[in-house]
Amino acid sequence: MNSTKNLNARERARLAAEQAAARRRDQRILISVVVAFLVVVVAGGITFQAWRTSRSPSAAPSATAAASPVMITNGRPIPLGSADAPVTITLYEDFHCPHCADFEEEFGPTITQAQESGEARVELYPMAFIDEGSITAANAMACAAEAGFGQPYYLALFANHTLQWSDPQLIDLATKVVGSPPSEAFQTCVKRRAHADFVTSINAAADQNHVAQTPTMLINGKDVAIESLTPESLKTMITDAAQK
Amino acid sequence: MIDPQSSVAAVRAYRLLPSALLTIVGWGLPFAEIALGVLLLAGIATRLVAVASAVLLLVFIAAVTSAAARGLSIDCGCFGGGGDVAPGQTAYATEIVRDVGLLLLAVWLVWQPRSRLTLDRFSSERT
Repeated sequence: MNSTKNLNARERARLAAEQAAARRRDQRILISVVVAFLVVVVAGGITFQAWRTSRSPSAAPSATAAASPVMITNGRPIPLGSADAPVTITLYEDFHCPHCADFEEEFGPTITQAQESGEARVELYPMAFIDEGSITAANAMACAAEAGFGQPYYLALFANHTLQWSDPQLIDLATKVVGSPPSEAFQTCVKRRAHADFVTSINAAADQNHVAQTPTMLINGKDVAIESLTPESLKTMITDAAQK
Repeated sequence: MIDPQSSVAAVRAYRLLPSALLTIVGWGLPFAEIALGVLLLAGIATRLVAVASAVLLLVFIAAVTSAAARGLSIDCGCFGGGGDVAPGQTAYATEIVRDVGLLLLAVWLVWQPRSRLTLDRFSSERT
């Protein structure tokens, strides 16, 4: 009688120990699975973003304004659009600034329209303060303006703002904008950072003009509050400025 | 889908990490958060995941506090966005209150990981 009871107690203890061991094993497996899941998702995410920034640019929105080559002058903005347009829209932007990309998406079409109708011209300060890609893109922007396709190149840079802007990407973008491989001069201009001094001078000019953030927009020299802007109110502002 | 430039810009704006780490953190962090969120919703290893989430939220609170203390003018980059903003446009207090709220919820799950709809129930009630 007594020995059966002991046996039962021992049996129960053994079972309990086995169960505890099984539970611990299950838990270890669960933890490993969870950690593996986290690692796979994060590594996959990083790989995905690396791919997105290094792929080739997609086709750019079409810009019909046939631009003529412009001269790049240190410290002076890049002019885009008709020189005798009544309204001057001054833009300070960095090609890698996320808010600039948002700004371009929302207001770019309105501005482009005003440029194409001859109502406004853009004076672009391509600032470069975010990363290496800001510098290579600003330099390539100057090369493109000099080669005569500044306007469509500008739109294409923002349409592909997730890219990191390596030299091949910048040249590929020009190919898509021009419709054929760009001139040797443009390619050399991109690869050699021919306008590196210009990019530095634009940063200095922005500083001097007390521009503290991008995007900054001025219409005929007057600061525009972008936070409260809508495409319609921008259109009205441009029309009003043209009539003055 | 998470913009690879702005998520890096959001991390950069805090001026806490060396440039070598900015890209990897900017790209990886949103996916880590999504993965933790999915695990919490499904209720898989709830206590462990809640601990990880709480730790992450503590890091966020510390980062936002340090940005405020250093007088930076940035957007916390919580739920998207991020980067520098105009000096008057910061919302550090709101951001910290929100993170503390989320932290309390995470701590609650560390303490009481069981609930009716978790997958954890199936794995442990069998034993």
